[in-house]
Amino acid sequence: MNKFDYLIPTSIQEAISLHESHGEQSNYIAGGTDVMVKIKQGKINPLVLISLTRLKGLDHIIYEKGELRIGAMVTHRMLELSPVIRKEFPILIDAVENIGSVQVRNVATIGGNIVNGVPSADGAIPLLTLGAQVRTVGPEGERTVALEDFFVGAGKTCLKSGEILSEFVVPELPAHSGAAYWKHTRRGAMELAILGVGVLISLKDDMKTCAEARIGLGVLAPTPMRAKKAEAILKGKKVDEETLKEAGSTAAQECKARDSIRGKAWYRRGMVELFVRRMGTVAMERAS
Amino acid sequence: MKNISVTFTLNGDLVTAEVPPNWTLLKTLREYFELTGPKEGCGVGECGACTVIMDGDAINSCIYPIPEVEGKTVTTIEGVADKDGTLHPLQKAFLENNGVQCGFCTSGMIMSAKALLDQNSEPTEDQIRTSIAGNLCRCTGYVQIVDSIEKAAEMIKEKK
Amino acid sequence: MSDLLYVGKNVPRTIEVDKVTGRAIYINDLKRPGMLYGKILYSKYAHARIKNVDISKAEKLPGVRAVLSGYNIPDVRVGFLKDQTVLKKGIVRQFRDEVAAVAAISEEIAEEALGLIEVEYEELPAVFDPIEAMKEGATLVHEVDVRGKPVTSNIIPLPWKFKAGDIEQGQKDSAYVVKDSLTTTWINQCCMGTSGCVAEFDMNNNLTLYNQTNVPFLDKQRIVEYFAGIGLKGQNVRVVNVTVGGSFGTKLDTDIYEFISIQLALKTRKPVKVLFNREEEFQALPPRQPARFTIEQGCDKEGRLTFRKSEAILDNGAYTSWGVTTPSVMMMPMSSLYRVPNVSFEATCVYTNNIYCQAMRGYGNPQATFAVEVSMDRLAEKAGIDPAELRLINSNQSGDITPMRLKITSCGLEECINSVKKKLDWGGKKKKQKSRGVGMASLIHVAGGARVYLSDGHGMMIKIDQNGHVDVLESGTDQGQGSPTVISQIIAEALGFKPEDISLTFGDTGLCLWDAGTHASRHTFMAGNAAIRACEKAKRQILEIAVEKIPGLIKGNFKRKKRKDPDFVEPDLDYNLISGPEKLDIRDRMVFPKAAPDHPYFKFEVSDILRSGLHVGVGESKVVVADAFYDPPTENLDREMKGNLSLTYAFGATGVEVEVDEETGKVKILNLFAAHDVGKAINPTLVKGQIYGAAYMGAGYALTEEMLVENGRVMNPNFRDYKMLTAKDIIPVDPILIETDEKDGPFGAKGIGEPGLVPTAPAIANAIYDAIGVRINDLPITPEKIITALKEKKKQN
Repeated sequence: MNKFDYLIPTSIQEAISLHESHGEQSNYIAGGTDVMVKIKQGKINPLVLISLTRLKGLDHIIYEKGELRIGAMVTHRMLELSPVIRKEFPILIDAVENIGSVQVRNVATIGGNIVNGVPSADGAIPLLTLGAQVRTVGPEGERTVALEDFFVGAGKTCLKSGEILSEFVVPELPAHSGAAYWKHTRRGAMELAILGVGVLISLKDDMKTCAEARIGLGVLAPTPMRAKKAEAILKGKKVDEETLKEAGSTAAQECKARDSIRGKAWYRRGMVELFVRRMGTVAMERAS
Repeated sequence: MKNISVTFTLNGDLVTAEVPPNWTLLKTLREYFELTGPKEGCGVGECGACTVIMDGDAINSCIYPIPEVEGKTVTTIEGVADKDGTLHPLQKAFLENNGVQCGFCTSGMIMSAKALLDQNSEPTEDQIRTSIAGNLCRCTGYVQIVDSIEKAAEMIKEKK
Repeated sequence: MSDLLYVGKNVPRTIEVDKVTGRAIYINDLKRPGMLYGKILYSKYAHARIKNVDISKAEKLPGVRAVLSGYNIPDVRVGFLKDQTVLKKGIVRQFRDEVAAVAAISEEIAEEALGLIEVEYEELPAVFDPIEAMKEGATLVHEVDVRGKPVTSNIIPLPWKFKAGDIEQGQKDSAYVVKDSLTTTWINQCCMGTSGCVAEFDMNNNLTLYNQTNVPFLDKQRIVEYFAGIGLKGQNVRVVNVTVGGSFGTKLDTDIYEFISIQLALKTRKPVKVLFNREEEFQALPPRQPARFTIEQGCDKEGRLTFRKSEAILDNGAYTSWGVTTPSVMMMPMSSLYRVPNVSFEATCVYTNNIYCQAMRGYGNPQATFAVEVSMDRLAEKAGIDPAELRLINSNQSGDITPMRLKITSCGLEECINSVKKKLDWGGKKKKQKSRGVGMASLIHVAGGARVYLSDGHGMMIKIDQNGHVDVLESGTDQGQGSPTVISQIIAEALGFKPEDISLTFGDTGLCLWDAGTHASRHTFMAGNAAIRACEKAKRQILEIAVEKIPGLIKGNFKRKKRKDPDFVEPDLDYNLISGPEKLDIRDRMVFPKAAPDHPYFKFEVSDILRSGLHVGVGESKVVVADAFYDPPTENLDREMKGNLSLTYAFGATGVEVEVDEETGKVKILNLFAAHDVGKAINPTLVKGQIYGAAYMGAGYALTEEMLVENGRVMNPNFRDYKMLTAKDIIPVDPILIETDEKDGPFGAKGIGEPGLVPTAPAIANAIYDAIGVRINDLPITPEKIITALKEKKKQN
């Protein structure tokens, strides 16, 4: 493995100024399950790693007045075991309990998962579906970006040099909302998804008509994406087998599925169609 | 690249490792402390042969940076039996129920199981399988490993 | 058989306690004084001319002790057909071709040095499809053969042609005939411990190779031959295994990395470890042999098989290892699975620029049985006969001599098929459920040794010390299957000792007698039979000592009793009871007269006997040592590929119930019943362990595992993308042990290591057909293939 120095700052400001002084040769590291692997595989070659593990105020899970705030350094295992997440945001549980293995989840952070920027990020799709926002802090101060706008290309985010992702904020969801996520894999564990589908449905007071729908897709485009056309299909309509089917086929058309060693585009499109329908049904059940 | 100094508790003893900062916990355990129980099966956190318990949680030591271990508590397979050599119920159960064949995955497998049983003394089969989902085994088909862990849980229960 | 104390019991693997405490030393853990680390530089192209290799920069890197290339080591050819050199010179023919090697004081420095080796290539057109490679005018992978004569074809001249009976007549006699094409692909053995070895020369140029081989004596022999070519003729070679992290066929050959570590050790005069990382394990280790079959089978109106005709094309890759010999094993199911009078099988092996292959559990049998058993199901359907019934109609029977001249001794095939039928509720479930189905397949495999070489011998030596501790020098090897425990049980039973009295050393060529290899599921059978014979000799020696010494021991006892109690009267004893060794026996470490097992004076602890035999004072002292070299009365295959190469055969049947999600194409295995004729289960828990592991491997083979090789390059060289099953992939496996008590097996036992895997994939494929009415003849049966097949079916309807 390449030689690098390992720095462990104890405040965000210290971390940012360390990054400023080392510049392009440095890399932030959270749990390390992505960064360490990338270094071992020669994909990145930093001379300095700046750890985020001792920074304070980044490991909270707060659900207050309908708004959910998750610190970037929260591990997937913390999310998996959080009673409030399990009760109020089961779509996140759908995702995190299927990430890697217990060993990985104990260490890997939700922030690191999103910053890694890969289209298969299981943490990203549910957050995208929930309409999350990302808060960052960097040399130029703090800013908030919609998660939708956070991913700019395969493996690329809009994080500026030196910026640290600090928190996810899920604004209060509309009334009667339910959401579900499906990770499609070949085996029962240790899988990078063939594709991921997250569906959120908010019902009108009649509990049958869709007030708003959000559909997040993973591994079906260079970045995690929202299937806006498919969402529009559901909006204002009665949610039933037929509308879900239509939404599914629209999502299949608007996604940019590609061939890779993990799956072929035609199969992915077929599964998008199927799982928009299946997850839409689960989302409906959870909304009730 | 200068060596760094990392002090932590290893198998019950307070220790200090003087190693390059780019070493992983696995490399430190195997080469600095000569604990060859944790194994490198893939080096990238995909097989679990390197699993150790840190502050009560199972982790893949092959991708865990050694500087992060400062102040933590680490247990490897070498620290599972009692100091007088009495085997832990998991170790006994694996031998009695054929949970070990070639044994390469065994160190990591027992650590994952121990992390589970330390936190949950009456796991369901599903919980057992989830706890070892990140430990690959080619020999056993996992069946007798699950058996072994169930029997160990019973043994622990009886002891109490 | 009188009541057995250890054989047939679930004796725990206590002898292997080091594996659960982290103390067992695998090749990864082995350190020798002054040891260096070796790393290999692989080719950048699938097919290219090497124009230049510049090692000068690498040699200068501090910490580097040797840099080798094809240009600074002798050109000696190695391999099954001697078609490659250790380091490549002139031409590279596959991506994993070894172009250079470095030994350095640390792994990191060795890696860095690899990056400093500059190789200039001129890329050549390559051929990756065996069908293309067979065509005239195809790029030649080898331009000359091993003797230097020009070659005009990529087809390898190997004798894989089998014929028995009259195929044409068989076709004429058929009321129903089916013809199918099936393919299987590259599968990685996925041993959790990666490949590697440590080579160490002494100052007299004798080599010790710390290894993980299945075939220590063959390994040694190949190295001895190699030595002759590199100026080390007459030097000794000792092959010694460390704890092995799995084999599954990867360690039957002497791999290039072994020769590389030897060359590096020779050059540096230091021990050198070459150890594969996981990526190398996927890219540079020969995997399972892929095969493309066409198979035609027929039966008469009553369902009796009339003929079986099959051809196979094997992608041999760039060089030759054991993969290309798998047809010799494929002939076994082709000719002898079920009673079939007329058989022909032909295999064509073709060089390509893909990776070459070696053995993997089953060694061609899983591939061929997939073809035979899917074809059987198709034939059953065509003939309107239930598939289980068709198998029973044609079941092998004890006493049969098959077209390959295999002599069937014990045969539990019918029982296996029937028990699987019952467990599956065959009648109730076949063709009756939507999206769910049942299917089955059977197997035949060698289980009493396998005469692959001119000798199928297996040697064992035992010595017993004065305390009654037994040291066993066992020429087989342990890859984790449980041999230390099983062989201890057999020896304890045969000697009358306890398993904990026994220590074993496996596969050290410096200590043990010869063995053909721990392969072909032969270890328990061969070691058990050798053990029984050696123990007979050892027991006799102990009992002869007993006959000689017991009277004196008793006299001594009586003297002591008289001293303590002057009124003691010596009883009148019938010394006739112990007058000859045939009148005595040993059980539970006690020597006793057979006619009076609880005799108050003639029963002695075996250690007392042994001590008295050794510490004699006056006269000739004795130690107990016995050996046996067991070579079963079997035959090599003759020119027609016929011969009874094993003393007995394993049979079994696997029945599977699956549920298919017709929308996603994913297959769930609801039940898997594996019935195996094991002769006698020496240790039922361990036997079941083999079956569980093999069933999982078989399920992976059927549904998820494949090496994705594109233009010669392995595209998924890691556990993330090579889909080996995890603990969350739950398959309810129910092993059923059928004991037919094989008379030639040790305590009746037969082999089980490979049989567990063989019928799994076709059973699953047949069950999928029952569930959704589509056949996928191309392993693995992925969701994509199922969806595609279902779409096709819909179109046709």
